[in-house]
Amino acid sequence: MKLTLLFGGASFEHEISIVSAITLKEKLSGFDLQFIFCDQDHTFYLIEPSKMKAKTFSSGEHKKMPQLVLTQSGFEKKALFGAKQIKGTVLNLIHGADGEDGTIAALLDFYSIKYIGPRIDASVFSYDKRYTKYLCDAIGVKTLDYEVLRSSEHKNLQLSYPLIIKPARLGSSIGVSIVKEESELDYALDVAYEFDKSVIVEPFINGVKEYNLAGCMIGGKMVFSIVEEPQKNEFLDFEKKYMDFARSEQVLKAELSEELVKKLKANFEKIYKGLFEGALIRCDFFVIDNEVYLNEINPIPGSMANYLFEDFKGVIEKLAASLPQSKRPRVKYEYIHSISKAKGK
Amino acid sequence: MALKSIQYRHHTLDISYEILNPHAKVDLIVLHGWGSSKMLMKQAFGSTMESFRHIYIDLPGFGNSTCNIPLTTRDVTRIVELLMIELNAQRDIIVGHSYGGKVATLLNPQVLVLLSSAGIVTPKPFKIKAKIFLFKLLKFLGFAKLRSFFVAEDAKSLSEPMYQTFKNVVNEDFSNEFTSFDGKALLCWGESDSATPLSSGEKIEELMRDSKLVVYKGDHYFFLQHAKDVAKNIEETFLKTLEH
Repeated sequence: MKLTLLFGGASFEHEISIVSAITLKEKLSGFDLQFIFCDQDHTFYLIEPSKMKAKTFSSGEHKKMPQLVLTQSGFEKKALFGAKQIKGTVLNLIHGADGEDGTIAALLDFYSIKYIGPRIDASVFSYDKRYTKYLCDAIGVKTLDYEVLRSSEHKNLQLSYPLIIKPARLGSSIGVSIVKEESELDYALDVAYEFDKSVIVEPFINGVKEYNLAGCMIGGKMVFSIVEEPQKNEFLDFEKKYMDFARSEQVLKAELSEELVKKLKANFEKIYKGLFEGALIRCDFFVIDNEVYLNEINPIPGSMANYLFEDFKGVIEKLAASLPQSKRPRVKYEYIHSISKAKGK
Repeated sequence: MALKSIQYRHHTLDISYEILNPHAKVDLIVLHGWGSSKMLMKQAFGSTMESFRHIYIDLPGFGNSTCNIPLTTRDVTRIVELLMIELNAQRDIIVGHSYGGKVATLLNPQVLVLLSSAGIVTPKPFKIKAKIFLFKLLKFLGFAKLRSFFVAEDAKSLSEPMYQTFKNVVNEDFSNEFTSFDGKALLCWGESDSATPLSSGEKIEELMRDSKLVVYKGDHYFFLQHAKDVAKNIEETFLKTLEH
């Protein structure tokens, strides 16, 4: 299968995206893979597969590789005579800004390029944790209580300690801290404000049961991964999650009652249906008193959560064949013609 | 890392900082040199001196801190002071490398640690004098466009306000400020430093009433190799202030 991995981006998670792409190169061996790197200045490069190593990018060696431009239905490499189009479905593997905020989705939609990844509306609701709360409220999925703080205003918190502080629009635990008492709050907020002017504050529940579930819609049916209970010390910090991306062995299935697995899947489906078609997403849930709460949606999970699927290659192949068709209205100028006719011109 | 917005002269500067050992009672503020950032300083001292609360600061225009107005060393000092007020930080120990050393001196801490500090003007070598003369001549002849061949390494690729700041702070004579400093000072120098030569360290030791110079093997960044020993000296110097 022909597949183009698009990675990089102007994002705090730029480097994680590179790691994701390198991992997937191995996980999808056998596919006819191509690699397109978006650097932090938004230039696209076609990366030689044998050069898919972290050092290629940190050393700037990618700058010597062919630049690409977007054209209708594909990326194009300028050649001496004419241009060569890079064909094949794109897998959007840009984490964080650009990839998950709807920018790349909009670009690919605009240029009629087929892609695996969240569409614009799905990106909007999953990228900003505030909008994820609004979405869950609307579709009846429980989430933890929360408050929003902005760097430009001071507000007294109603929630009681311990708290967890998260930048509103980041994944991968970057800028996240746990605050046990008020004296630690100011610094934790400044840490989050370095990444986003808005932050979400939630109660921190020590030892809460956490479960991750990935999945996608293929041919109108939900396909789920196994349910994973992530390892955690106090919470998954950036480094731990980062290691997570490179993880290659399959994880152990969590020991759960069938009833709870059903509940997790039902909540996942509620979130996914009608919004995330075309994407393979991972939802992270909390379970408190046998009730399921959504923690966050990862519309482009690290390394596409490949370790949660028994047949990851098969899932990607089927998903690529089951992408939503975007309809573009055909303009026929009927209205203008009818007026012209009426005027007798 | 963390970020605070500081209001200064009707401008907002975002100052990036990082705190280690948040519950320690003695504050250690660390200021980097020109063109450097708090990352480098944290890399050196982050795992030492656990009994101090470390505060690493990106000076305006460096690292993740912003700067959209030209500043003098006194402006930078005031901005650091404003951040310190927000962080409830005490002037127990302040470490400054190179340009950061001048800021640290103006902050007037109880214990001042200068690592290859700037502030002593050394006569320009003949090569530089010749370069300046040649460029002035070229400029007079209408070849100002050749400026990029002459500009100092430190000033290349600077934004306009930062270039102005550079001109404000470079070659400042801090002899008076060093003389009037009345706290305890620890001066650490690399013996083969070519940016701020060892003779500057010796001069500062003469000027400061209560100071001690320690010379290390290495250049302008000697402390990267000798962080543990520098840390030990800082701790000992601080302990001496408690003896009275």
